[in-house]
Amino acid sequence: MIELSSDTLVFSFPEVHPSATLRLHLQRTLRIPDDDSTYPLPPGLGQFPLRHVDDFANKVPPQWMEHGGVMFPMYQSEAMWICFDSDYDDDRDVSYPFAVKIATGKVSAVSGETWKSGVNRDPQDYVVVPEQPWLDGYCVEEGVIRQFVAMPLGAGYTAEEQVTGKGEHGGLQILAYPMKRKVYEELFPKSSKRILSDLNADCLACYSAAPSEMGLAPGGRMKQEIYEDSYRLSDWDLDHSSRCFVHIANSMVWRSITGDNPPTTPPTSREYTSAGLPWFDWYDDDNKALPGAAPLTGMKSVATIGKEKGDVPLPENETINPGQVVTLRKGLKPGQVREWQETAGRL
Amino acid sequence: MRNAFGAYLRKRREELLDGSPEFSIRKLAAKIGVQPSYISKVEREEVAPPSEPTIVRWAETLGEDPDVLLALAGKVSADLRDAIVKRPKVFAELIRELKDAPDHALLRVVREVRDGNW
Repeated sequence: MIELSSDTLVFSFPEVHPSATLRLHLQRTLRIPDDDSTYPLPPGLGQFPLRHVDDFANKVPPQWMEHGGVMFPMYQSEAMWICFDSDYDDDRDVSYPFAVKIATGKVSAVSGETWKSGVNRDPQDYVVVPEQPWLDGYCVEEGVIRQFVAMPLGAGYTAEEQVTGKGEHGGLQILAYPMKRKVYEELFPKSSKRILSDLNADCLACYSAAPSEMGLAPGGRMKQEIYEDSYRLSDWDLDHSSRCFVHIANSMVWRSITGDNPPTTPPTSREYTSAGLPWFDWYDDDNKALPGAAPLTGMKSVATIGKEKGDVPLPENETINPGQVVTLRKGLKPGQVREWQETAGRL
Repeated sequence: MRNAFGAYLRKRREELLDGSPEFSIRKLAAKIGVQPSYISKVEREEVAPPSEPTIVRWAETLGEDPDVLLALAGKVSADLRDAIVKRPKVFAELIRELKDAPDHALLRVVREVRDGNW
């Protein structure tokens, strides 16, 4: 079952294991410049609000009601990232593992293939949680993604349109499979204490009526590894799954649908960096990164398509030089985001 | 019910004061934004429980659940009251139906995100 709790999607599988709960939320963030430089990870600027589409049945497009699920607002050319977290099992000192499929417009953000059920390897079309704490975009090269950027469906920018030639679905599709209980209990027996990686000190220090339908398109290049599954394919419990369709409403029409104001526009990368605020890097030496997915590698970025069309889809796209980069390592707190510091409130 | 409110606040504050001087009456009053004498009066139940915003600040300062403190004060938070007033029949029936149900049964009444036809 999936619940919506405090703008977080909670996927629970109590029938599989008491700890088999996955949490997922969508983070607001800076849009990195789309200039073919490769940038570090931008910060989290707070969760996007999520709402049941059923609560606004008479105001959302009919196909949203058909798909069910939830919706959230994005400004055109705004960026986002996905934060994953699964329940921590104190008895075994481990977070319950999940295989999570993420698609935009029903095109896998990991493999670039169109939506199909089950988990697939060669190419791998899912991420493994908790090994993968965040996903910021499309896997275009080993260790490099192109950032998720919101663009109107039908303008030719979205990954869905570039890969399939059609703009039918938009939004995000999420499907979660828990690990089989028997496998989990064998791999992580109660008596064994899992060795957690050291929490990096730097990480602790960083604590402190426009068209309504939107899709996600490939933006700037970012350094982020999407990890190869280190378990066996048969370890995933394909008899138990939950899926959710996440619709993206243009922020300009969010108010007319919900009556609520959308979040304010995020600062630009230049404003954020000029304020001396940190960018982030993430290292996990234990996991191997997937190579780029051929259909995704072949995509053109939003800025490239805009140039070809004589359009300027990304305002304020100047190259910047991220100054301070905070390195994060394994051992994050549950649901930890890349947090900006309090001084960022001035932006 | 009203008696439980002041006594509960006093007990919690004194427990916290054992570990930190930040929970003296004077310091607590400064955090909540009231006079120290008012804290004493509320804890001794010499005055009626404060307003909802003050109870919520009190709860946040003591690390308590605002809804629990509001209930101890015989109040219901404004958002819950608005929800009930908006659909009184449905909520009255629901609450009567579930009032004696155990917590684990109540947790099953959570709303699921609907999966439609993709």
